[in-house]
Amino acid sequence: MDKFKEIIRQYPFLGFIIAFIILMLVPSVFFTDLYQSHLASLICINIIVAAGLNIVKGFCGQVTVGHVGIYAVGSYTAGCMFLYLGSGLWLTLPAAILIAGLFGVAFAIPSFRLEGPYLALATLGGGEAIRLFIENGDFFMSTYGISNIPQPIIFGVPFDTPDKYYYIAMPVMLIAVYFSFSVLRSSVGRAFMAVREDPISAAASGINVKKHKMLAFVLSAMFAGGAGAVYAHLPPGYIHPNNYTVIEMVTFLAMVVFGGLGHIWGGIIGAIIITIVYDLTRPLYEYQLFIFGLTIVLTILFMPKGIGGFIDKYFIDRRFKTKTGAASK
Amino acid sequence: MLLKTKKLMKAFGGLKAINKVDFELPANEIRGIIGPNGSGKSTFFNLVSGVYEPDPGSYIEFDGKDITNEPPHKVGELGLARTFQLLRLYQDMSVINNVMSGYHTLVPYSFVDAVTGRKKIWDQEKTIKEEMMELLSFVGLADYAELNASELSGGQRRLLVLARAIAGKPKLLMLDEPAAGLSPVNVDNLMKILMRLKEKYGLTLIIIEHILKVVMDTCSKVTVLDHGEKIAEGTPSQIKDDNAVIEAYLGKKMDDEEMRKALAV
Repeated sequence: MDKFKEIIRQYPFLGFIIAFIILMLVPSVFFTDLYQSHLASLICINIIVAAGLNIVKGFCGQVTVGHVGIYAVGSYTAGCMFLYLGSGLWLTLPAAILIAGLFGVAFAIPSFRLEGPYLALATLGGGEAIRLFIENGDFFMSTYGISNIPQPIIFGVPFDTPDKYYYIAMPVMLIAVYFSFSVLRSSVGRAFMAVREDPISAAASGINVKKHKMLAFVLSAMFAGGAGAVYAHLPPGYIHPNNYTVIEMVTFLAMVVFGGLGHIWGGIIGAIIITIVYDLTRPLYEYQLFIFGLTIVLTILFMPKGIGGFIDKYFIDRRFKTKTGAASK
Repeated sequence: MLLKTKKLMKAFGGLKAINKVDFELPANEIRGIIGPNGSGKSTFFNLVSGVYEPDPGSYIEFDGKDITNEPPHKVGELGLARTFQLLRLYQDMSVINNVMSGYHTLVPYSFVDAVTGRKKIWDQEKTIKEEMMELLSFVGLADYAELNASELSGGQRRLLVLARAIAGKPKLLMLDEPAAGLSPVNVDNLMKILMRLKEKYGLTLIIIEHILKVVMDTCSKVTVLDHGEKIAEGTPSQIKDDNAVIEAYLGKKMDDEEMRKALAV
Protein backbone atom coordinates (compact mmCIF):
# COMPACT_ATOMS: atom_id res chain seq x y z
CA MET A 1 0.00 0.00 0.00
CA ASP A 2 2.80 2.39 0.90
CA LYS A 3 4.57 1.54 -2.32
CA PHE A 4 1.41 2.32 -4.26
CA LYS A 5 1.16 5.66 -2.46
CA GLU A 6 4.76 6.45 -3.34
CA ILE A 7 4.14 5.75 -7.01
CA ILE A 8 1.06 7.99 -7.03
CA ARG A 9 3.05 10.73 -5.35
CA GLN A 10 5.74 10.49 -7.99
CA TYR A 11 3.38 10.38 -10.95
CA PRO A 12 0.33 12.37 -9.87
CA PHE A 13 -1.20 11.98 -13.30
CA LEU A 14 -1.44 8.22 -12.79
CA GLY A 15 -3.87 8.72 -9.94
CA PHE A 16 -6.15 10.67 -12.20
CA ILE A 17 -6.03 8.03 -14.91
CA ILE A 18 -7.09 5.45 -12.31
CA ALA A 19 -9.85 7.76 -11.12
CA PHE A 20 -10.91 8.25 -14.74
CA ILE A 21 -11.20 4.51 -15.35
CA ILE A 22 -13.18 3.99 -12.13
CA LEU A 23 -15.53 6.88 -12.90
CA MET A 24 -16.01 5.57 -16.45
CA LEU A 25 -17.29 2.30 -14.98
CA VAL A 26 -19.53 3.86 -12.32
CA PRO A 27 -22.63 4.41 -14.50
CA SER A 28 -22.79 0.88 -15.88
CA VAL A 29 -22.49 -0.58 -12.39
CA PHE A 30 -24.60 1.71 -10.24
CA PHE A 31 -26.92 3.83 -12.33
CA THR A 32 -30.38 2.47 -13.02
CA ASP A 33 -32.09 5.41 -14.69
CA LEU A 34 -31.33 8.56 -16.69
CA TYR A 35 -32.04 10.75 -13.71
CA GLN A 36 -29.06 9.39 -11.78
CA SER A 37 -26.78 10.15 -14.73
CA HIS A 38 -28.17 13.66 -14.85
CA LEU A 39 -27.42 14.07 -11.16
CA ALA A 40 -23.90 12.71 -11.69
CA SER A 41 -23.27 15.30 -14.41
CA LEU A 42 -24.57 18.02 -12.11
CA ILE A 43 -22.23 16.81 -9.38
CA CYS A 44 -19.31 17.01 -11.80
CA ILE A 45 -20.24 20.59 -12.73
CA ASN A 46 -20.62 21.59 -9.10
CA ILE A 47 -17.27 20.03 -8.22
CA ILE A 48 -15.63 22.27 -10.82
CA VAL A 49 -17.27 25.37 -9.33
CA ALA A 50 -16.48 24.30 -5.76
CA ALA A 51 -12.85 23.53 -6.62
CA GLY A 52 -12.57 27.01 -8.14
CA LEU A 53 -14.33 28.70 -5.25
CA ASN A 54 -12.01 26.91 -2.84
CA ILE A 55 -9.01 28.52 -4.55
CA VAL A 56 -10.23 32.06 -4.00
CA LYS A 57 -12.13 31.65 -0.74
CA GLY A 58 -10.55 28.68 0.98
CA PHE A 59 -6.93 29.22 0.01
CA CYS A 60 -6.60 32.90 -0.76
CA GLY A 61 -9.16 33.96 1.88
CA GLN A 62 -11.02 36.42 -0.33
CA VAL A 63 -14.73 36.35 0.42
CA THR A 64 -16.55 36.40 -2.89
CA VAL A 65 -20.30 36.09 -3.25
CA GLY A 66 -20.32 37.03 -6.92
CA HIS A 67 -19.06 33.76 -8.26
CA VAL A 68 -22.43 32.74 -9.56
CA GLY A 69 -22.23 35.79 -11.86
CA ILE A 70 -19.06 34.45 -13.40
CA TYR A 71 -20.69 31.04 -13.70
CA ALA A 72 -23.50 32.80 -15.60
CA VAL A 73 -20.92 34.48 -17.83
CA GLY A 74 -19.56 31.05 -18.72
CA SER A 75 -23.03 29.69 -19.48
CA TYR A 76 -24.09 32.68 -21.53
CA THR A 77 -20.83 32.78 -23.46
CA ALA A 78 -21.61 29.22 -24.49
CA GLY A 79 -25.27 30.01 -25.10
CA CYS A 80 -24.65 33.13 -27.20
CA MET A 81 -21.87 31.50 -29.19
CA PHE A 82 -24.29 28.76 -30.12
CA LEU A 83 -27.07 31.25 -30.80
CA TYR A 84 -25.12 33.62 -33.03
CA LEU A 85 -22.21 31.54 -34.31
CA GLY A 86 -23.59 28.03 -34.05
CA SER A 87 -20.55 26.81 -32.11
CA GLY A 88 -20.42 23.55 -30.18
CA LEU A 89 -18.90 22.70 -26.79
CA TRP A 90 -15.33 22.30 -28.10
CA LEU A 91 -15.32 25.98 -29.09
CA THR A 92 -17.56 27.41 -26.41
CA LEU A 93 -15.71 25.77 -23.50
CA PRO A 94 -12.34 27.47 -24.10
CA ALA A 95 -14.09 30.73 -24.99
CA ALA A 96 -16.16 30.60 -21.79
CA ILE A 97 -13.02 29.92 -19.73
CA LEU A 98 -11.24 32.86 -21.36
CA ILE A 99 -14.06 35.37 -20.97
CA ALA A 100 -14.78 34.25 -17.42
CA GLY A 101 -11.08 34.81 -16.69
CA LEU A 102 -11.45 38.41 -17.87
CA PHE A 103 -14.41 38.86 -15.54
CA GLY A 104 -12.22 37.38 -12.80
CA VAL A 105 -9.82 40.28 -13.34
CA ALA A 106 -12.68 42.72 -12.79
CA PHE A 107 -13.76 40.92 -9.61
CA ALA A 108 -10.19 40.90 -8.28
CA ILE A 109 -9.77 44.67 -8.40
CA PRO A 110 -12.04 45.44 -5.39
CA SER A 111 -10.11 42.85 -3.34
CA PHE A 112 -7.00 45.05 -3.43
CA ARG A 113 -8.68 47.51 -1.10
CA LEU A 114 -11.66 45.73 0.48
CA GLU A 115 -11.68 42.91 2.98
CA GLY A 116 -14.14 40.52 4.57
CA PRO A 117 -17.78 41.56 4.58
CA TYR A 118 -17.10 44.67 2.48
CA LEU A 119 -15.56 42.61 -0.27
CA ALA A 120 -18.51 40.22 0.01
CA LEU A 121 -20.89 43.12 -0.56
CA ALA A 122 -18.96 44.41 -3.56
CA THR A 123 -18.80 41.00 -5.22
CA LEU A 124 -22.45 40.31 -4.39
CA GLY A 125 -23.32 43.49 -6.27
CA GLY A 126 -21.12 42.41 -9.17
CA GLY A 127 -22.73 38.99 -9.44
CA GLU A 128 -26.29 40.32 -9.24
CA ALA A 129 -25.45 43.04 -11.78
CA ILE A 130 -24.38 40.39 -14.27
CA ARG A 131 -27.60 38.43 -13.77
CA LEU A 132 -29.80 41.53 -14.11
CA PHE A 133 -27.87 42.62 -17.19
CA ILE A 134 -28.57 39.24 -18.78
CA GLU A 135 -32.19 39.25 -17.67
CA ASN A 136 -32.80 42.64 -19.29
CA GLY A 137 -30.73 42.17 -22.43
CA ASP A 138 -32.46 41.14 -25.64
CA PHE A 139 -29.09 40.01 -26.91
CA PHE A 140 -29.16 37.31 -24.22
CA MET A 141 -32.82 36.44 -24.95
CA SER A 142 -33.65 38.12 -21.59
CA THR A 143 -36.18 36.10 -19.57
CA TYR A 144 -36.91 33.65 -22.37
CA GLY A 145 -33.62 31.92 -21.76
CA ILE A 146 -31.58 30.19 -24.42
CA SER A 147 -32.79 26.75 -25.36
CA ASN A 148 -31.70 23.84 -27.55
CA ILE A 149 -28.01 24.37 -26.90
CA PRO A 150 -26.59 21.31 -28.65
CA GLN A 151 -24.57 18.52 -27.10
CA PRO A 152 -21.25 17.58 -28.69
CA ILE A 153 -20.92 14.81 -31.26
CA ILE A 154 -17.80 12.65 -31.13
CA PHE A 155 -17.05 10.28 -34.02
CA GLY A 156 -20.62 10.58 -35.16
CA VAL A 157 -22.02 9.66 -31.75
CA PRO A 158 -24.19 12.43 -30.28
CA PHE A 159 -23.83 12.81 -26.52
CA ASP A 160 -27.35 14.14 -26.24
CA THR A 161 -28.82 12.11 -23.37
CA PRO A 162 -27.95 12.48 -19.68
CA ASP A 163 -26.27 9.08 -19.47
CA LYS A 164 -23.99 9.95 -22.38
CA TYR A 165 -23.34 13.53 -21.30
CA TYR A 166 -21.83 12.21 -18.07
CA TYR A 167 -18.86 11.09 -20.16
CA ILE A 168 -18.35 14.73 -21.23
CA ALA A 169 -18.78 16.36 -17.83
CA MET A 170 -16.72 13.82 -15.89
CA PRO A 171 -13.40 14.20 -17.81
CA VAL A 172 -13.74 18.01 -17.73
CA MET A 173 -14.20 17.75 -13.97
CA LEU A 174 -11.15 15.49 -13.61
CA ILE A 175 -8.99 17.90 -15.60
CA ALA A 176 -10.20 20.81 -13.47
CA VAL A 177 -9.50 18.92 -10.24
CA TYR A 178 -6.06 17.93 -11.55
CA PHE A 179 -5.22 21.57 -12.23
CA SER A 180 -6.50 22.68 -8.86
CA PHE A 181 -4.34 20.03 -7.16
CA SER A 182 -1.23 21.01 -9.11
CA VAL A 183 -1.66 24.70 -8.36
CA LEU A 184 -2.63 24.40 -4.72
CA ARG A 185 0.03 21.84 -3.80
CA SER A 186 2.78 24.04 -5.29
CA SER A 187 4.43 27.19 -4.01
CA VAL A 188 1.56 29.19 -5.52
CA GLY A 189 -0.93 27.46 -3.21
CA ARG A 190 1.29 28.18 -0.24
CA ALA A 191 1.52 31.82 -1.28
CA PHE A 192 -2.30 31.93 -1.46
CA MET A 193 -2.53 30.64 2.10
CA ALA A 194 0.09 33.12 3.27
CA VAL A 195 -1.95 35.95 1.74
CA ARG A 196 -5.03 34.61 3.53
CA GLU A 197 -3.32 34.36 6.90
CA ASP A 198 -1.41 37.62 6.90
CA PRO A 199 -0.89 39.83 3.83
CA ILE A 200 1.70 42.03 5.52
CA SER A 201 4.06 39.28 6.53
CA ALA A 202 3.42 37.54 3.21
CA ALA A 203 4.67 40.66 1.47
CA ALA A 204 7.70 40.73 3.76
CA SER A 205 8.55 37.23 2.54
CA GLY A 206 8.60 38.52 -1.02
CA ILE A 207 5.12 37.34 -1.99
CA ASN A 208 3.38 39.80 -4.29
CA VAL A 209 0.01 40.07 -2.54
CA LYS A 210 -1.89 41.85 -5.33
CA LYS A 211 -0.58 39.48 -7.97
CA HIS A 212 -1.64 36.43 -5.99
CA LYS A 213 -5.09 37.83 -5.22
CA MET A 214 -5.51 38.51 -8.94
CA LEU A 215 -4.26 35.03 -9.79
CA ALA A 216 -6.67 33.40 -7.34
CA PHE A 217 -9.65 35.32 -8.69
CA VAL A 218 -8.77 34.67 -12.33
CA LEU A 219 -8.10 30.96 -11.76
CA SER A 220 -11.32 30.41 -9.87
CA ALA A 221 -13.25 32.46 -12.44
CA MET A 222 -11.88 30.21 -15.16
CA PHE A 223 -13.11 27.17 -13.23
CA ALA A 224 -16.54 28.76 -12.82
CA GLY A 225 -16.66 29.77 -16.49
CA GLY A 226 -15.77 26.27 -17.65
CA ALA A 227 -18.38 24.79 -15.36
CA GLY A 228 -20.91 27.29 -16.71
CA ALA A 229 -20.23 26.20 -20.30
CA VAL A 230 -20.56 22.52 -19.41
CA TYR A 231 -23.80 23.35 -17.63
CA ALA A 232 -25.16 25.23 -20.66
CA HIS A 233 -24.68 22.20 -22.88
CA LEU A 234 -26.12 19.82 -20.30
CA PRO A 235 -29.19 18.12 -21.83
CA PRO A 236 -31.77 19.52 -22.51
CA GLY A 237 -29.45 22.50 -23.14
CA TYR A 238 -31.53 25.22 -21.57
CA ILE A 239 -30.28 28.20 -19.55
CA HIS A 240 -32.29 30.90 -17.84
CA PRO A 241 -31.22 33.89 -15.69
CA ASN A 242 -33.09 32.36 -12.75
CA ASN A 243 -30.48 29.60 -12.60
CA TYR A 244 -27.89 32.14 -11.45
CA THR A 245 -29.42 33.80 -8.40
CA VAL A 246 -28.07 34.28 -4.89
CA ILE A 247 -29.72 30.98 -4.00
CA GLU A 248 -27.28 29.13 -6.25
CA MET A 249 -24.44 31.13 -4.74
CA VAL A 250 -25.47 30.06 -1.24
CA THR A 251 -25.48 26.47 -2.44
CA PHE A 252 -21.97 26.81 -3.86
CA LEU A 253 -20.78 28.44 -0.66
CA ALA A 254 -22.39 25.69 1.40
CA MET A 255 -20.39 23.12 -0.61
CA VAL A 256 -17.07 24.79 0.10
CA VAL A 257 -17.80 25.63 3.74
CA PHE A 258 -19.28 22.25 4.57
CA GLY A 259 -16.49 20.43 2.77
CA GLY A 260 -13.82 22.48 4.49
CA LEU A 261 -12.37 25.83 3.53
CA GLY A 262 -8.82 25.53 2.32
CA HIS A 263 -9.01 21.77 1.89
CA ILE A 264 -8.86 20.45 -1.68
CA TRP A 265 -10.66 17.17 -1.01
CA GLY A 266 -13.10 18.98 1.24
CA GLY A 267 -14.49 21.10 -1.59
CA ILE A 268 -15.00 18.01 -3.73
CA ILE A 269 -16.71 15.99 -0.99
CA GLY A 270 -18.84 19.02 -0.10
CA ALA A 271 -19.93 19.40 -3.71
CA ILE A 272 -20.99 15.75 -3.90
CA ILE A 273 -22.91 15.77 -0.62
CA ILE A 274 -24.62 19.13 -1.07
CA THR A 275 -25.67 18.37 -4.65
CA ILE A 276 -27.25 15.10 -3.59
CA VAL A 277 -28.92 16.64 -0.54
CA TYR A 278 -30.14 19.55 -2.66
CA ASP A 279 -31.79 17.09 -4.98
CA LEU A 280 -33.27 14.89 -2.27
CA THR A 281 -34.83 17.92 -0.56
CA ARG A 282 -36.38 19.24 -3.76
CA PRO A 283 -39.92 18.38 -2.51
CA LEU A 284 -39.25 20.67 0.47
CA TYR A 285 -38.20 23.49 -1.77
CA GLU A 286 -39.66 26.20 0.49
CA TYR A 287 -37.22 25.20 3.19
CA GLN A 288 -34.19 24.58 1.01
CA LEU A 289 -32.61 27.99 1.42
CA PHE A 290 -33.24 27.77 5.13
CA ILE A 291 -31.57 24.38 5.30
CA PHE A 292 -28.46 25.50 3.44
CA GLY A 293 -28.18 28.74 5.34
CA LEU A 294 -28.44 26.78 8.56
CA THR A 295 -25.85 24.28 7.30
CA ILE A 296 -23.36 27.09 6.72
CA VAL A 297 -24.01 28.67 10.11
CA LEU A 298 -23.84 25.38 12.02
CA THR A 299 -20.73 24.26 10.13
CA ILE A 300 -18.93 27.49 10.93
CA LEU A 301 -20.01 27.30 14.57
CA PHE A 302 -19.33 23.65 15.32
CA MET A 303 -16.82 22.41 12.77
CA PRO A 304 -15.12 25.47 11.29
CA LYS A 305 -12.87 23.34 9.14
CA GLY A 306 -15.69 21.25 7.73
CA ILE A 307 -15.29 17.65 6.69
CA GLY A 308 -11.77 18.34 5.43
CA GLY A 309 -10.78 19.30 8.96
CA PHE A 310 -11.84 15.88 10.21
CA ILE A 311 -9.86 14.15 7.48
CA ASP A 312 -6.75 16.18 8.31
CA LYS A 313 -7.13 15.55 12.03
CA TYR A 314 -7.46 11.83 11.44
CA PHE A 315 -4.24 11.66 9.43
CA ILE A 316 -2.25 13.83 11.83
CA ASP A 317 -3.46 11.80 14.83
CA ARG A 318 -2.56 8.58 13.09
CA ARG A 319 0.90 9.83 12.22
CA PHE A 320 1.52 10.87 15.81
CA LYS A 321 0.29 7.54 17.07
CA THR A 322 2.65 5.62 14.82
CA LYS A 323 5.46 7.93 15.86
CA THR A 324 4.93 7.41 19.58
CA GLY A 325 4.36 3.71 18.96
CA ALA A 326 7.70 3.45 17.22
CA ALA A 327 9.35 5.30 20.09
CA SER A 328 7.96 2.91 22.72
CA LYS A 329 9.34 -0.09 20.84
CA MET B 1 27.31 49.73 2.73
CA LEU B 2 24.55 47.14 2.77
CA LEU B 3 21.86 49.50 4.01
CA LYS B 4 21.92 53.26 3.82
CA THR B 5 19.23 55.82 4.60
CA LYS B 6 19.52 59.55 4.01
CA LYS B 7 17.19 62.09 5.58
CA LEU B 8 14.65 59.37 6.22
CA MET B 9 11.39 61.03 7.23
CA LYS B 10 7.89 59.93 8.11
CA ALA B 11 5.19 62.04 9.68
CA PHE B 12 1.78 60.82 10.86
CA GLY B 13 -0.25 64.01 10.86
CA GLY B 14 1.74 66.42 13.00
CA LEU B 15 3.80 63.72 14.68
CA LYS B 16 7.24 63.21 13.19
CA ALA B 17 7.69 59.50 13.82
CA ILE B 18 11.04 59.46 12.04
CA ASN B 19 12.85 62.71 11.53
CA LYS B 20 15.83 62.99 9.19
CA VAL B 21 17.56 59.78 10.19
CA ASP B 22 20.83 59.00 8.44
CA PHE B 23 21.76 55.38 8.93
CA GLU B 24 24.57 53.32 7.52
CA LEU B 25 25.17 49.64 8.00
CA PRO B 26 28.08 47.70 6.52
CA ALA B 27 27.70 44.01 5.72
CA ASN B 28 28.27 41.37 8.41
CA GLU B 29 27.58 43.70 11.29
CA ILE B 30 25.16 43.16 14.16
CA ARG B 31 23.51 46.45 14.88
CA GLY B 32 21.26 47.15 17.82
CA ILE B 33 18.58 49.81 17.81
CA ILE B 34 17.33 50.98 21.19
CA GLY B 35 15.12 53.79 22.37
CA PRO B 36 12.09 54.40 24.56
CA ASN B 37 8.60 53.31 23.47
CA GLY B 38 7.32 55.48 20.66
CA SER B 39 10.77 56.59 19.60
CA GLY B 40 10.26 55.32 16.05
CA LYS B 41 12.17 52.04 16.05
CA SER B 42 9.41 49.96 14.51
CA THR B 43 8.50 52.79 12.15
CA PHE B 44 12.09 52.74 10.98
CA PHE B 45 11.75 49.03 10.18
CA ASN B 46 8.44 49.58 8.44
CA LEU B 47 9.92 52.32 6.28
CA VAL B 48 12.97 50.32 5.28
CA SER B 49 10.96 47.17 4.52
CA GLY B 50 8.43 49.13 2.46
CA VAL B 51 5.38 48.64 4.68
CA TYR B 52 5.12 52.42 5.05
CA GLU B 53 5.93 54.86 2.29
CA PRO B 54 8.53 57.39 3.42
CA ASP B 55 7.87 61.13 3.07
CA PRO B 56 9.33 62.91 0.02
CA GLY B 57 12.99 63.76 0.30
CA SER B 58 13.89 60.47 1.96
CA TYR B 59 16.33 58.05 0.42
CA ILE B 60 16.85 54.38 1.22
CA GLU B 61 19.47 52.22 -0.44
CA PHE B 62 19.86 48.48 0.02
CA ASP B 63 22.72 46.52 -1.48
CA GLY B 64 23.45 49.31 -3.96
CA LYS B 65 19.85 49.67 -5.13
CA ASP B 66 17.45 52.52 -4.45
CA ILE B 67 14.47 50.99 -2.63
CA THR B 68 12.91 54.23 -1.39
CA ASN B 69 9.44 53.71 -2.83
CA GLU B 70 9.52 50.00 -3.58
CA PRO B 71 6.59 47.87 -2.35
CA PRO B 72 7.37 45.41 0.47
CA HIS B 73 7.48 42.30 -1.70
CA LYS B 74 10.13 43.87 -3.97
CA VAL B 75 12.23 44.70 -0.92
CA GLY B 76 11.78 41.14 0.30
CA GLU B 77 12.86 39.78 -3.07
CA LEU B 78 16.09 41.77 -2.90
CA GLY B 79 17.07 39.89 0.24
CA LEU B 80 15.85 42.01 3.11
CA ALA B 81 13.90 39.92 5.59
CA ARG B 82 12.26 41.07 8.76
CA THR B 83 10.23 39.83 11.68
CA PHE B 84 7.37 41.64 13.35
CA GLN B 85 6.86 42.68 16.91
CA LEU B 86 3.47 40.93 16.89
CA LEU B 87 4.99 37.93 15.06
CA ARG B 88 2.32 37.75 12.34
CA LEU B 89 2.63 33.98 12.01
CA TYR B 90 0.43 32.13 9.55
CA GLN B 91 -1.67 30.69 12.38
CA ASP B 92 -3.74 28.27 10.35
CA MET B 93 -0.87 26.75 8.38
CA SER B 94 1.42 23.94 9.43
CA VAL B 95 4.85 24.83 10.78
CA ILE B 96 6.58 23.44 7.70
CA ASN B 97 4.29 25.42 5.39
CA ASN B 98 5.06 28.57 7.37
CA VAL B 99 8.73 28.10 6.72
CA MET B 100 8.27 26.97 3.12
CA SER B 101 6.28 30.08 2.28
CA GLY B 102 9.27 32.07 3.49
CA TYR B 103 11.23 30.36 0.71
CA HIS B 104 8.81 31.70 -1.91
CA THR B 105 11.20 33.97 -3.81
CA LEU B 106 13.73 31.18 -4.31
CA VAL B 107 11.31 28.57 -5.69
CA PRO B 108 12.93 27.40 -8.93
CA TYR B 109 9.80 26.67 -10.99
CA SER B 110 7.38 29.15 -12.51
CA PHE B 111 3.61 29.37 -12.21
CA VAL B 112 3.14 27.72 -15.60
CA ASP B 113 5.28 24.80 -14.45
CA ALA B 114 3.16 24.53 -11.32
CA VAL B 115 -0.10 24.36 -13.29
CA THR B 116 1.07 21.37 -15.29
CA GLY B 117 2.02 19.55 -12.08
CA ARG B 118 4.73 17.42 -13.64
CA LYS B 119 7.03 15.07 -11.76
CA LYS B 120 9.88 17.59 -11.98
CA ILE B 121 7.89 20.02 -9.84
CA TRP B 122 7.22 17.45 -7.14
CA ASP B 123 10.88 16.55 -7.02
CA GLN B 124 11.80 20.18 -6.58
CA GLU B 125 9.15 20.58 -3.90
CA LYS B 126 10.63 17.60 -2.11
CA THR B 127 14.09 19.15 -2.18
CA ILE B 128 12.72 22.41 -0.81
CA LYS B 129 10.91 20.56 1.94
CA GLU B 130 14.04 18.66 2.93
CA GLU B 131 16.02 21.88 3.04
CA MET B 132 13.37 23.56 5.17
CA MET B 133 13.20 20.56 7.52
CA GLU B 134 16.91 20.98 8.03
CA LEU B 135 16.37 24.61 8.95
CA LEU B 136 13.57 23.59 11.32
CA SER B 137 15.75 21.04 13.08
CA PHE B 138 18.42 23.73 13.32
CA VAL B 139 16.08 25.92 15.38
CA GLY B 140 14.71 22.84 17.16
CA LEU B 141 11.20 22.66 15.71
CA ALA B 142 11.52 19.62 13.44
CA ASP B 143 9.25 17.50 15.65
CA TYR B 144 6.41 20.01 15.28
CA ALA B 145 6.60 20.33 11.49
CA GLU B 146 3.10 19.04 10.77
CA LEU B 147 1.34 20.88 13.59
CA ASN B 148 -0.51 24.12 13.08
CA ALA B 149 1.51 27.18 14.00
CA SER B 150 -1.25 28.20 16.42
CA GLU B 151 -0.51 25.13 18.54
CA LEU B 152 3.04 26.22 19.38
CA SER B 153 4.10 27.86 22.63
CA GLY B 154 5.22 31.47 22.80
CA GLY B 155 8.91 30.63 22.71
CA GLN B 156 8.48 28.20 19.82
CA ARG B 157 6.57 30.83 17.86
CA ARG B 158 9.48 33.24 18.18
CA LEU B 159 11.79 30.54 16.82
CA LEU B 160 9.40 29.80 13.97
CA VAL B 161 9.22 33.46 12.96
CA LEU B 162 13.00 33.48 12.91
CA ALA B 163 13.11 30.35 10.75
CA ARG B 164 10.53 31.77 8.35
CA ALA B 165 12.53 34.97 7.91
CA ILE B 166 15.74 33.06 7.28
CA ALA B 167 14.14 30.57 4.86
CA GLY B 168 14.43 33.08 2.01
CA LYS B 169 18.22 33.31 2.53
CA PRO B 170 18.25 37.06 3.14
CA LYS B 171 21.31 39.27 3.15
CA LEU B 172 19.95 41.45 5.90
CA LEU B 173 17.66 40.34 8.68
CA MET B 174 15.82 42.90 10.77
CA LEU B 175 14.47 41.57 14.07
CA ASP B 176 11.80 43.51 15.91
CA GLU B 177 12.06 42.57 19.58
CA PRO B 178 12.95 38.90 19.00
CA ALA B 179 13.17 38.17 22.73
CA ALA B 180 10.10 40.01 24.00
CA GLY B 181 8.21 37.97 26.56
CA LEU B 182 10.77 35.20 26.81
CA SER B 183 12.17 33.84 30.06
CA PRO B 184 15.89 34.47 30.68
CA VAL B 185 16.80 30.88 29.75
CA ASN B 186 14.87 31.12 26.51
CA VAL B 187 16.45 34.47 25.70
CA ASP B 188 19.91 32.91 25.99
CA ASN B 189 18.79 29.98 23.86
CA LEU B 190 17.35 32.30 21.20
CA MET B 191 20.49 34.39 21.05
CA LYS B 192 22.63 31.27 20.76
CA ILE B 193 20.54 30.05 17.83
CA LEU B 194 20.65 33.50 16.28
CA MET B 195 24.44 33.63 16.45
CA ARG B 196 24.73 30.17 14.92
CA LEU B 197 22.38 31.16 12.11
CA LYS B 198 24.38 34.30 11.49
CA GLU B 199 27.55 32.25 11.15
CA LYS B 200 25.91 29.67 8.92
CA TYR B 201 24.17 32.00 6.50
CA GLY B 202 26.51 35.01 6.68
CA LEU B 203 23.73 37.31 7.84
CA THR B 204 23.81 40.96 8.67
CA LEU B 205 21.50 41.76 11.56
CA ILE B 206 19.61 44.72 12.92
CA ILE B 207 18.02 44.02 16.30
CA ILE B 208 15.46 46.13 18.11
CA GLU B 209 15.42 44.97 21.70
CA HIS B 210 14.50 46.27 25.11
CA ILE B 211 16.45 43.62 26.99
CA LEU B 212 19.69 45.57 27.24
CA LYS B 213 21.75 42.52 28.09
CA VAL B 214 21.01 41.14 24.62
CA VAL B 215 21.96 44.36 22.90
CA MET B 216 25.10 44.96 24.93
CA ASP B 217 26.37 41.39 24.60
CA THR B 218 25.71 40.71 20.94
CA CYS B 219 25.74 43.98 19.02
CA SER B 220 28.94 45.44 17.71
CA LYS B 221 27.35 48.85 17.38
CA VAL B 222 24.21 50.45 18.76
CA THR B 223 22.01 53.21 17.36
CA VAL B 224 19.79 55.10 19.77
CA LEU B 225 16.56 56.74 18.65
CA ASP B 226 14.44 59.18 20.60
CA HIS B 227 11.41 61.05 19.33
CA GLY B 228 12.20 59.93 15.81
CA GLU B 229 15.73 61.29 15.85
CA LYS B 230 19.03 59.54 16.06
CA ILE B 231 20.60 60.78 19.27
CA ALA B 232 23.63 58.54 19.49
CA GLU B 233 25.54 55.81 17.72
CA GLY B 234 28.55 53.83 18.82
CA THR B 235 29.84 50.70 20.50
CA PRO B 236 27.81 49.42 23.47
CA SER B 237 30.33 50.74 25.97
CA GLN B 238 30.27 54.20 24.38
CA ILE B 239 26.47 54.19 24.44
CA LYS B 240 26.40 53.20 28.10
CA ASP B 241 28.26 56.39 29.04
CA ASP B 242 26.52 58.77 26.65
CA ASN B 243 24.63 61.43 28.60
CA ALA B 244 21.87 61.93 26.04
CA VAL B 245 21.17 58.19 25.99
CA ILE B 246 21.13 57.92 29.73
CA GLU B 247 18.69 60.79 29.89
CA ALA B 248 16.35 59.39 27.25
CA TYR B 249 16.45 55.68 27.82
CA LEU B 250 18.55 54.19 30.54
CA GLY B 251 17.35 56.55 33.24
CA LYS B 252 19.28 59.30 34.94
CA LYS B 253 21.83 58.49 37.56
CA MET B 254 21.15 60.60 40.62
CA ASP B 255 23.50 61.54 43.37
CA ASP B 256 22.38 61.62 46.99
CA GLU B 257 21.50 65.30 46.93
CA GLU B 258 19.20 64.95 43.92
CA MET B 259 17.62 61.84 45.32
CA ARG B 260 16.73 63.59 48.56
CA LYS B 261 15.22 66.49 46.63
CA ALA B 262 13.19 64.19 44.41
CA LEU B 263 11.82 62.28 47.39
CA ALA B 264 10.97 65.43 49.33
CA VAL B 265 8.68 66.63 46.51
